[in-house]
Formats: sequence, C-alpha cells, structure tokens
Amino acid sequence: MSSVILRNVNKSYGNLPIVKNLNLEVKDGEFVVLVGPSGCGKSTTLRMVAGLEDITQGDIQIGDRAINDLPPHKRNIAMVFQNYALYPHMSVRENIVFGLKKSGADAETIKTKLADVSEMLKLDEYLDRKPADLSGGQRQRVAMGRALARDADVYLFDEPLSNLDAKLRHHMRTEIARIQHQYNMTAIYVTHDQIEAMTLGDRVVVMRDGIVEQVGSPMEIYLQPANTFVATFIGSPAMNLFEAKVDGEELVFDKYRIPATSIANVDLNVLASHDTVLVGIRPDFFEDSALSLQRSPSDNLFAFDDIQVDLVENLGFDKEIMFTLGGENAKARLDLRSHVQRQETISLSVDLNRVLLFDTSTQGMLINAGEV
Amino acid sequence: MASSILIKNEARLGLKLVAPAIGIIGLLVIYPIFFNVYLSFFDVQLNGSKTFIGLDNYSDLLANPRYYHSIGVSIIYLLGTVIGTTVLGLAAAVLMNQEFHFRNIARGLILLPYFAPVISVVFGWQFIFDPVNGIYNHVVVDVLHLTDTRENLIGNPDSALFVVILFDIWKHFPIAYLLLLAKLQSVPKDLYEAAAIDGQNAWGRFWHVTLPELKFVIATVVLLRIIWNLNRFEDVYLLAPNVETLPIFTYYQAFAGIVDQGGAAAISVIQLLVLVGLIWLYVRKVLKW
Ligand SMILES: Nc1ncnc2c1ncn2[C@@H]1O[C@H](COP(=O)(O)OP(=O)(O)OP(=O)(O)O)[C@@H](O)[C@H]1O
Ligand SMILES: [Mg+2]
Repeated sequence: MSSVILRNVNKSYGNLPIVKNLNLEVKDGEFVVLVGPSGCGKSTTLRMVAGLEDITQGDIQIGDRAINDLPPHKRNIAMVFQNYALYPHMSVRENIVFGLKKSGADAETIKTKLADVSEMLKLDEYLDRKPADLSGGQRQRVAMGRALARDADVYLFDEPLSNLDAKLRHHMRTEIARIQHQYNMTAIYVTHDQIEAMTLGDRVVVMRDGIVEQVGSPMEIYLQPANTFVATFIGSPAMNLFEAKVDGEELVFDKYRIPATSIANVDLNVLASHDTVLVGIRPDFFEDSALSLQRSPSDNLFAFDDIQVDLVENLGFDKEIMFTLGGENAKARLDLRSHVQRQETISLSVDLNRVLLFDTSTQGMLINAGEV
Repeated sequence: MASSILIKNEARLGLKLVAPAIGIIGLLVIYPIFFNVYLSFFDVQLNGSKTFIGLDNYSDLLANPRYYHSIGVSIIYLLGTVIGTTVLGLAAAVLMNQEFHFRNIARGLILLPYFAPVISVVFGWQFIFDPVNGIYNHVVVDVLHLTDTRENLIGNPDSALFVVILFDIWKHFPIAYLLLLAKLQSVPKDLYEAAAIDGQNAWGRFWHVTLPELKFVIATVVLLRIIWNLNRFEDVYLLAPNVETLPIFTYYQAFAGIVDQGGAAAISVIQLLVLVGLIWLYVRKVLKW
C-alpha cells in the first residue's frame, strides 16, 4: 500500500481545461471517495493516476515515487473501469486471475485469492463463463473481482456498483468496507451514490467542473459544506436555501424573523456587512411541531408556523413534505409519527444549531466551522 | 449461443439470397470438376480422341519422381508464402494502426503491390536479380563486397524458389494487412488499458489482447492464402518458370512437351481431394467453426 499525492494537476483536451489545479493527498490506507456531477472530471482524474491519460501539468506521486512518466503497467495499480473492460476471450476465472498471475503470485495464492473473491462477489457459478454470457451486474462484479484479487499499491474504482440492484449493491458496499478495514487499502472511489460516499469514504472529495470544491470527512461535508454547491449536492433531498434580509440581529424572510444570535457559530460582525444571506436548512432537520418530542436543554428550536402543505409523499418510514417558504419551494423530511395531510396548515420546527448561512454573492459558507 | 427466432429468420433469408449464386457456381465449377474426374480415366490425344485406360494415369503419376519433387516445392512455397504474408501483413496492420503523420497516405501506399499488374512487376523483379545489371548483385558484390561471384538467383531453381516466395509475400501481404487492419480498428481501446493496468507491457498487450482478438481473422487469412497459393500459377510461371510447384508441373504435363491432358486431370483430382481434406480438417480442428 502507498499514499497518492496529486500536486497542481491540470488536464486539458486541446484548449479545453477539464481538470483544474487539483491538489489531493490520499494517505496510506485511506479510502477517498470522489463525487460530483456527470462530466466534472472524476474519471479523468482516476485515469491520470492510473497513467491512462497523460497529465497536462502538475505532479502525481505514489508512495515516494514520482510517476508522471511511468507507464501504467509499472505503477502497480488495480482499477475497476466504468464500462468493465473485461477480456472477452477469457473466462471469468481467467479474467480475475490475469493480473495476479502477471504479478508473479504462486499457484497457492492465486487459488485462495480466486476462491475469496468469487465467494465474496457471488461469482462461483459463473467462473467458467465468458463475459459475453453474463448480465451487466455480473460483469461488473467480475471487473470488481479482477481488481480486488490484485495486491496493488492503490485501488481505483470508477462507479463500480452502478449497475447492481439495491440488495446486491448494499451487500457489495459492506463487503468493500470490510475489505477496506481488513487490508487497509489505499483507494480512490468514484461514485454518484450518496450512501456509498457517506459510508465508504474516510474522506470525501466534492468536485465541480474540474475543481475541488471541498475535501473532508463525510460528516464535515454533510454538516459544514463549504458552499451552496456542496450543500445542495450532498444530501437527499437537497438542502433548502432561503434568501433572508439581515435586519440587525435578525434574519427576515416571509413573515419569519430568525434570531441570528441563536444560530451556532455566527459572527455578528460578518453578518452586519451583508444586506442579505442565504439560510440553508436540510429537509431532515425539520420536525413536526405538533409532536411533543423529548427535548434536551441544548435544543434551540425555531418554529415556522402557518405552513401550508402542498404535497405529502409517503416513503414508508419517512415522508417528504413539500411546501412554499419565502417564495421558494421547500421540502421537509418527517417520519411515521407525523400525521400531516395535504392542504393542512402546520408548524415545522428546526434546531437552529443545524441552520447554515451562506454569502448571497459568493455562495460561500458564512459560519465558522465548529465541532462536527 | 442462444438460437432464436431472429437467427432462424436470418438463416432462411440467407438461403434465399445465395440460391441463384449456388446455381451459377454449380454450372461453372461443378461441371468442370466432374469433367476433370472423367478425363483422368482417359488417354487424351491432341486431336481430341480419347481411350479409356482406367487408373493408368494415376499409377503413372505416382511413379513419376518429378511429381513428388513438385509436391515438395509446393509445400515449401506454401509454408513460406502463407507464414510470410500473414506475419508481414500483421506487422504492417499493427504499425498502420498507430497514430502518426501522413498515416492515410501510408495506408494507401502499402496496397500498391497488390494493385500492380503482375506482368509489369515481374519484369521489375527480374531486373533486380539480373546477374549482370541487377541491383541485387550490384549491392552484394560491388557495394558490400560480401562475395565476389555474381549469382543468377532466378536462373538456379533452388534459389529461384526463395525469390518466388519473396515475390509472393511482397505482392500479397497487403490483402492480409487489409483484413487484419479492419479488425484491429474495432478492438476496444479499454481492453488495452485494462491489460496495462494488469501489468502487461506493449508486448504482453499484443499477446494477450491483440492476438486473441485477431484470432479468427488470422485463421481466415491463412485459409485464404493456402487455397489461393496451392493453385497459384501466373506469379511463379512468369517470374521463374523453373520453379516447379504443383500447378506449374501440371501445366507442363498438360500442355508442354508430351501433351498429356489425362495425366494433368489426374493431378488436379488428387490435388482437389487433398485440398478439400485439408480445409475440412482446418475448419473443424483449428477454427472450430
Ligand atoms: N478525449 C476527450 N476529448 C475531449 N473531451 C473529453 C475527452 N474525454 C473526456 N472529455 C470531457 O472531459 C470531461 C470529464 O469527463 P470524465 O469522464 O472525467 O467525467 P466524469 O466526472 O467521470 O463523469 P461521469 O460521472 O458521467 O462518468 C467531460 O466533459 C468529457 O466530455
Ligand atoms: Mg466517469
């Protein structure tokens, strides 16, 4: 295992910059998850680490080796491709052990690795088939197996679970987490799946248009997003943003006046220099005020009264409520205990410790990062 | 492979489409073959009169040392040309699949030997190996001083065989190149990437990705080259008529010196049987179609 360091890495196709000045250090044994909208340069970044794409500018280092000019076959990297790239003329078994064999593993190691991997990925009954005779999800598992069987310095995963059904995906996710803890592999993992990002990553890197917007632990990203992009990209449903006027020590929107002093870690001097701010509230942090919930003294509730419910979506345990607040469509996620109906007028409470403020013009976070 | 309604439909359509062709081929190919078999049992005179002589043509042939010699020559010719064109064609295809300046022009130029009329390039080759004025002897003797005797490579049947093989490789590798390049261009790029990630260098990627992907095209090229070259006449005869491959021997038998059409027919019948047998074996055992 090795660390991976990307220093001021740039990638352009012709004049078109794709990855812009990317800096990232993946520590030895760390599992870093890369998320971002489609086309933001996640695969390109992985491919540069793998050596499949040359670097326009900057340096990449694996362990203490500078690898800019090292061809991929000398980098000792394992990778799961977004489109599998299985060898069509080889059986599943041969596909899985191909790289392992090349690395000079002895027959005994190859046998046990193959058995481990095929059991973990539930591939036992397909070992003798050719990739053409497998379903998409099965192929993806073979691609995964081919990488996991290797004893590589760095593992790169490009959306390795995207084609699996929910159950299998959950199984694979926990398996990956287990292997990660067992072998402490250094990995960069690209995904669109929020749950994968939150559960697998030691750290999460959020990218947009080739730029790193934020790097942090999953909880940091969730609770203290650096800007509105990260705030709305991570978390589902997306965070609600309301534009509020700053009126002395109060934030005003619609008919509500929120005492800014009650919001955690607010710097009133900073606030005073703004006419307006964006108030960010995650749907998960709303509660139905009608429920007399057990409170702790540190709770710091603010109630939005007279909220007209436009729509209720029951999702089993959860329910999502749509309403209009401050002229914006907003969402709240309540649960079974609330009996809210469509067209009802209700009151929603929110813990002000969980409310975030953003700069209206720069979209940056306005609250000093506190404890997570 | 799953057989489906779709595949069956396609097979039915295929049959309808080839039916007219089968009819024509039947007339043009099957009739001469039967006539050939028929002739091989007769002693045919120049004036066309025939006498039935049973298997005499065959027993004469099998007792003729020149026949065995020509089989030997043909085998060397086949091995040399089939291996040579396939390997050179593969090398050219791999080369022309790389990105470089003027690639399109180079791709076209490679095909020239295949387009060129055989009669004109044969004269060029004869000139190259001419014992007195040829470039070959000039370079070997006068420039490199490797030896001081000028060789008549085409005049000597033993060395002429190798000139003829070289000529065929040069003239016919473009067809191998063309078929192989077409397939090479459709090999998914990510297979090479996966193999590189799995630790394979350029040679390993060629061995583990390119060759398996090309397997069927290579086998097809080899098959076509065998069929064509077992019957190849004009290239050999025009360049070096002293190289007696089977078709040349058959020609001498049928039309030169003692004219013996019945004997020549017997040669073709044997050759046809051997060819059919070989191809059947090849298709079943090597290609596993
Ligand atoms: N060969 C190329 N030439 C020009 N542009 C390219 C090339 N390859 C990729 N791009 C562009 O680079 C950008 C980043 O692509 P990349 O594959 O890294 O995206 P991604 O973040 O992995 O997206 P996704 O989540 O959809 O897989 C895209 O806008 C894509 O169009
Ligand atoms: Mg991608």
